[in-house]
Amino acid sequence: MKRGTRKIETQLAIIGTGIAGFAASIFAGQRGLEVAQFGHSGAMAYTTGYLDLLGVHDQRLQQNPWDALDALRQDEPRHPMSGLSNATIRAAIDGFTDAISDMGIGYTKAGDHNLSGLLPNGLAKPTLSVPDTMRPGITALETGAKTLVVDFEGLQGFSAKAFEVNFRDRWPELSSARLTFPGMENRQVFPEVLARSLETSATQQALAELIRPLLNGVEYVGLPAILGMHMPDEIRARMEEAIGVRLFEVPTIPPAVPGIRLRETFERALPEKGVQLEPQLKVAEVDFRPTGATLHLHGPMEDLEVEASAVLLATGRFLSGGLKSDQDSLSETLLDLPIRQPQDRDAWFRQDYLDPRGHPVNRLGVEVDGRFQPVGADGAPVHERLFAAGAILAHQDWVRQRCGAGLAIATAHAATEAAAAVLG
Amino acid sequence: MGAHSRGNTLDFLKVANDLLPDGASYDACVGCGICASGCPASGLFGMDPRRFINMAMLGMNEELSTTPWVWACTQCKRCAYLCPMGIDVSQLVGAARGAWATEDKPKGIVRSCAAQKLDESTSAMGLMSEDFVEIVEETLEELHENQPRFADLKVPIDKKGAKFVINQNSREPAVEPEEMAPLWKILDYVGADWTYSSKGWAAENFCMFTGDLDAWKEMVETRVDAMNALESEIWINTECGHSFFTIWQGIEKFGLKANFEAESLVTYYAQWIREGKLPVNSDWNKDNLKFTVQDPCQLVRKSIGDRAADDLRFVVKKLVGEENFIDMQPCRSANYCCGGGGGFLQAGMANERRAYGKRKFDQVIATEADYVLTPCHNCHSQIEDVGEHYGGAYTVTHLWTLICLSLGLLGPDERKYLGPELADVNLPEED
Repeated sequence: MKRGTRKIETQLAIIGTGIAGFAASIFAGQRGLEVAQFGHSGAMAYTTGYLDLLGVHDQRLQQNPWDALDALRQDEPRHPMSGLSNATIRAAIDGFTDAISDMGIGYTKAGDHNLSGLLPNGLAKPTLSVPDTMRPGITALETGAKTLVVDFEGLQGFSAKAFEVNFRDRWPELSSARLTFPGMENRQVFPEVLARSLETSATQQALAELIRPLLNGVEYVGLPAILGMHMPDEIRARMEEAIGVRLFEVPTIPPAVPGIRLRETFERALPEKGVQLEPQLKVAEVDFRPTGATLHLHGPMEDLEVEASAVLLATGRFLSGGLKSDQDSLSETLLDLPIRQPQDRDAWFRQDYLDPRGHPVNRLGVEVDGRFQPVGADGAPVHERLFAAGAILAHQDWVRQRCGAGLAIATAHAATEAAAAVLG
Repeated sequence: MGAHSRGNTLDFLKVANDLLPDGASYDACVGCGICASGCPASGLFGMDPRRFINMAMLGMNEELSTTPWVWACTQCKRCAYLCPMGIDVSQLVGAARGAWATEDKPKGIVRSCAAQKLDESTSAMGLMSEDFVEIVEETLEELHENQPRFADLKVPIDKKGAKFVINQNSREPAVEPEEMAPLWKILDYVGADWTYSSKGWAAENFCMFTGDLDAWKEMVETRVDAMNALESEIWINTECGHSFFTIWQGIEKFGLKANFEAESLVTYYAQWIREGKLPVNSDWNKDNLKFTVQDPCQLVRKSIGDRAADDLRFVVKKLVGEENFIDMQPCRSANYCCGGGGGFLQAGMANERRAYGKRKFDQVIATEADYVLTPCHNCHSQIEDVGEHYGGAYTVTHLWTLICLSLGLLGPDERKYLGPELADVNLPEED
């Protein structure tokens, strides 16, 4: 028995299956490029489902991300989003939210201001776009509407009581209750398990019947994000009808349903759009040549050889495996791209862990030029056919800046445009 | 089955480090729980994949060496599929199984492995080589008599140099021999140059499930020797999951020399349809019955990948009509194990197995499909069982049944896995 090698050809090979990788796949597909995408389960299951553009700048929460981007360009000209205009960024985000809405997960259209997205611990954070299932909760908070938030015995990752207590000052008409989820008695459960169960109409009806007696005149009911995995908007509509009041979801702590929804939606919909997707395989090696590259992957039974005319690297940071560190230095794991970094590890961190300025190490990453091509110390592209996008890029601190999705989507868009220009 | 200490207590951290796949790191576990969240065995016997890894890191070797959870984990590798760090709990579970004293292992699995060792047939139902040959011959005779249209149909056994050598799950010759005929008819229809082997023909390997590597190796060696002797170019695995994984993985793991390529029957169904050799269509499905399909973990996620899932969908859509196919979610490589794998069906833990299978049941019910197609025997049995247990109104059937139905080749006695609405549809004209 010989270990087989399957060969495929593509114009653009996208390495990475996070928001940046999937956004690049969507944009490249919209441009008519042939796309192949590779990666392994990344950090997407850890998202709240919110798409942040820029929630914090100058150590302050930002209500208007577009104004904040203008300030970012002044203050941090090397930030990966600083080279892109607001119009370009808005077009990218609209393209992304339209695409995922078409695929079956409704998202709100980006507005002129950030929304106050509800968080599981009873706080809110500025974010640009949220799943449609979560939008009514924001209105409920804004209007102080009489609202009941429910959690479940044994559920990990969400406490309705904590949500209520922390919001009490801002939202006095908020109350909480705990139910036993139908069929999940006496056990610990993850939100994913409840979401899978709510895919069936029997569970939807059973849960609605448990909630109805608790209403007591509320206008809204909030649930942890469990309203099904594959058609949450339809399930929310059905449940609203069965309960008789507005219903919304609150994100839970990871591993959470909104991220799993996105990942499974992309895995289902992108191959239908012609993307050659291998969501289970990491690229092991890449050989570059002047007109493209050969990617090598190793599946369980066979190897995969991909001839690509261009490569887009969106492998993320440490958690997703795009970057790694040892005692002395930081490196890029797949291509050993140069990372400009301090000589000494002592310079990676500030003294105080919670220093609001963040730590220098979080801004290290792959340096790119204006066309999102990784560059060497001389400022010249490392390879003519290599592009990069997302959290792997240097000069941003997406966690503190609350700009993860914006960074991923905007730079994926720009990198895809640049790759398309090279591909002609 | 409770905690015991008669087996070996493993040092799981050492085992983990020895088993470490490239690029994976057990101490890289960030404790996120995506593995446990996505595992249908989570919570059974108070265990889940994250807890298993955490306990290994803490050196809780006695507990891990005795938890019966290792028999409820079907080793489906969904945890490894989901883990950003590539941590594969199924391999630790395999090692843990192997460390149990034989007398404490689930008797059903142990008995099936012992049966496989009785004879070169390697049948988990203890069917000897000569019995298999005799049953095939008798069944063929009956087919010739009862369905004259197939009077010339041949079922070669030990035909040296045949292009394909095909294995056979023991369940059919042992329990329902008439179920072999649809496969024979398909092979006859496409004019395949094929043969059974009288040795190593059986499509099951419970020795792998016992965690006994030597026994697993012995089974694969017997089979590989038999196939090599026949000098066939391609070994086709029948509609079964783990028997495929056990061969190719066994050959790789134990460094065996195989002079054949391992392929799945589903791949060939798809190829024969594409080539026009198997001109199936959905004209028979006048009532627009809805169908969904189970992706066997052993065939898709653990072996061929989404290419097998694509072939499966291509075949099913041709058979039932594109508009009558509804995918369960999640699907393809991300699909859930049904709970029939890993020997769970034979482990004597019906309550836990059905609790595990509730996830699959809900997936099927959410599709509102009338039929579930399962190109794997264990999936077939489990999905049928949880359907009966939880009150689902679906029917579980094999691909070969529908292929023959579509081609008008399916005899009246070959319809036990069809519902009453298809009992008389497309019966062969001359019978």
